Amino acid sequence: MSSEIRLENLSIKTRDGTVLVRDVSFAFGSGNPICLIGETGSGKSLVMHAVMGSLPDELICEGAILLDGENLLALSAAARRALWGRKFSLLPQEPSRSLDPTMTIRSQVAEIYPALHRASWNDAKTRAMKDLQSVGLDHAARSFPFELSGGMAQRASIAMAHAAGSMVLLADEPTKGLDRALCDVVAGMINHEVSLGRAVMVITHDLELAMQTTGMIGVMRNGVLVELGKADSVLHAPVDAYTKSLVAALPSQWEASSQNTHEPGKPVIAARSLGKSFGERALFKELDLTLRSGEITVALGPSGCGKSTLGNILLGLIKADFGTVERPGNLPAFKYQKIYQDPPAAFIPHQTLGDAFGDLRKRHGIDGASINRIFDDLGLEPGLLARRPDAISGGELQRFAIARALLLKPAMLFADEATSRLDPVSQKRVIDLLVAQVRERNLALMLVTHDHVLANKIADHVIDLSSLSSNGEQRTAA
Amino acid sequence: MKQLIATRLFQLVAVVLIVGSISFALMYFLPGDPALRIAAGRYGPDMMDNAISDMVRAELGLDQPVLFRFLAWMGDLIRFDLGHSLVSGAPVLHEIALQLGYTLWLAALAFVLALVIGPLVGAIAGLFPGSIFDRVSLLVAVALRAVPPFVLAIVFMMVFGVTLRWFPTAGFGGWSNMVLPSLTLALGLAAMSSRVMRDAMSEVAASPYFAHGRYKGLSDRTVVMRHGIRNASLPVVTYLGLQMVYLVEGVVVVESIFAFPGIGHALVHAIIARDVPMVQGTALAMGGLFVLLNIIVDLMCLRLDPRLGRRAA
Repeated sequence: MSSEIRLENLSIKTRDGTVLVRDVSFAFGSGNPICLIGETGSGKSLVMHAVMGSLPDELICEGAILLDGENLLALSAAARRALWGRKFSLLPQEPSRSLDPTMTIRSQVAEIYPALHRASWNDAKTRAMKDLQSVGLDHAARSFPFELSGGMAQRASIAMAHAAGSMVLLADEPTKGLDRALCDVVAGMINHEVSLGRAVMVITHDLELAMQTTGMIGVMRNGVLVELGKADSVLHAPVDAYTKSLVAALPSQWEASSQNTHEPGKPVIAARSLGKSFGERALFKELDLTLRSGEITVALGPSGCGKSTLGNILLGLIKADFGTVERPGNLPAFKYQKIYQDPPAAFIPHQTLGDAFGDLRKRHGIDGASINRIFDDLGLEPGLLARRPDAISGGELQRFAIARALLLKPAMLFADEATSRLDPVSQKRVIDLLVAQVRERNLALMLVTHDHVLANKIADHVIDLSSLSSNGEQRTAA
Repeated sequence: MKQLIATRLFQLVAVVLIVGSISFALMYFLPGDPALRIAAGRYGPDMMDNAISDMVRAELGLDQPVLFRFLAWMGDLIRFDLGHSLVSGAPVLHEIALQLGYTLWLAALAFVLALVIGPLVGAIAGLFPGSIFDRVSLLVAVALRAVPPFVLAIVFMMVFGVTLRWFPTAGFGGWSNMVLPSLTLALGLAAMSSRVMRDAMSEVAASPYFAHGRYKGLSDRTVVMRHGIRNASLPVVTYLGLQMVYLVEGVVVVESIFAFPGIGHALVHAIIARDVPMVQGTALAMGGLFVLLNIIVDLMCLRLDPRLGRRAA
């Protein structure tokens, strides 16, 4: 059984007439997946929910969404709801949060059979085990969601789609919050679903995921589909200006940043024979490390290898089990600043940015002119100050976080996966600005990432923690 | 789980010691001559004179130094000997066993009623936050919780007992005597638990896993029953532990008003009659009951939320 979904001039409006998505047309089906790319607010999620039939009541769809020729927009809400599970499955973003925390995954798969296929509970349990086997999770059938990794949770939700038996699979940012190695695994799972004959639509801002799914790519911006084509041609010969900037923003396309040409700066932090373990597991031992002003050091490795822990030890936020951290010149603690992975978590949610920076001025006696100069350097509009952190983009908020750190005239910045939650264009912008500031102000920057390509483009020194857990030598990349 | 029970049993011992000491101290510092009061309780106020009260004092050892009496009481406690009632002369343990039975029935009935009313109202309100049902239930809950139980009890007596004559207002002769007291207790309990349930339910209903349950193709009913109620009940069950305080203190008030022959009623009478062993015994029984009920609540939490059990393991 094959299925095809065709969108014809789909527009999505609010009740008061604001157009959120305009005239989007594309098709996908069995053996012909589509990947919708775009930044937050581009309308890609709205399109996906329009296909699913799960838009909030305040939004109106125009145009047509055809499932094997039948216009879904003509159906009642109840009739569309009846297609959930039976025709459409949704792979949720951050699946570990989309599974019931107090129920075993086997029960969560099994409950689909009585609900959709009128199966008995005993029958449902056996069939659920087969579904979990099909995604390699049978050993974890009795686990609860908090005992699963991100990738395992994603596989559990695929098992649910298998149980439902629906032919259309919608994947909502399936790689959000996963590290690179897991992203490849998720891409493999999605390709497997395509090969099983499911009609798959993926929405993401992860271009590398888009590259790994064969089929069509649609690029959305400001509610409009700006480019649509075969994955290969869109990614290698983009036509639209926005698509070009998107592709150019991939770390593999970056020009290597200007290396630090002047002589080595003075040491800002010197760590000797650091060691740290969590429980049985040693993250690193006998690690020597010196951060110098004007230099960029990148700590590299997969999730959980101890990159962030190392940075936090250098900042003095947590204690090492062994070794010493010296800070020449006895600078106060606030001269060592941290930039966090998730920008919204680093700001007070209900305070406007203007108030936040006002407090900073008062506390540290900073003059308005230097604030304006930094905003200027980082390309931040002063008008944004009237807003709250949730009302601006992640890239802008991260630049505010950098501005906030730079205002204290730090000697060292520790950027903890500072761009991993940003779309490629915002990521490139933030990294470029960060690197420029570090060079200009002669700061020591330690950047933590799991992206090898990015690391090699900007680093003066690379510490690869994945190879460091046993021995302790510092590797240097030119 | 064994560790949890061991901790709680240790707490039980601590509670017994502390409640024992405090009740002893309180009775000692109460104004008035206990020997006079006890003599009045035994022989009637008209028969009483100084000779009789002196006799009582000597008989009960009330003329001994206070420290000596305290140590004697704690010593008896360790041997599970709660002594004899000063008024009736019967062993305190027997008196408590009898009254506690009535109280447990009353408390259990109130508790079950509260569990039916509170979480049900709360779940419906939480599924439709901002609805008229939600707002009215908030208003009623605030009103019921703001009114002290004795006022509520008197209102019920007047409406259902005196005016409508549906239920008796005092004493104990059968099930009908338990309706008004248990309802008074239950409504106070349900008022709070309905709000806890309401907030938990609206949070669960807004959670990604609730939405995902619907996307999986489950009906609203199935999603609420399988993923809603269970998760929303976690904070409610935890909160039940705190509600035991309300239940234990409510029992004292409600039993006194409805002249219900339970342990709370007995406590009040024992205090008035200065029946020290009875006061100490009932206070101990109620303190111990509180800890035991909390052990049950803890075990229920462990059963409901796998995260608690597996993390500890």
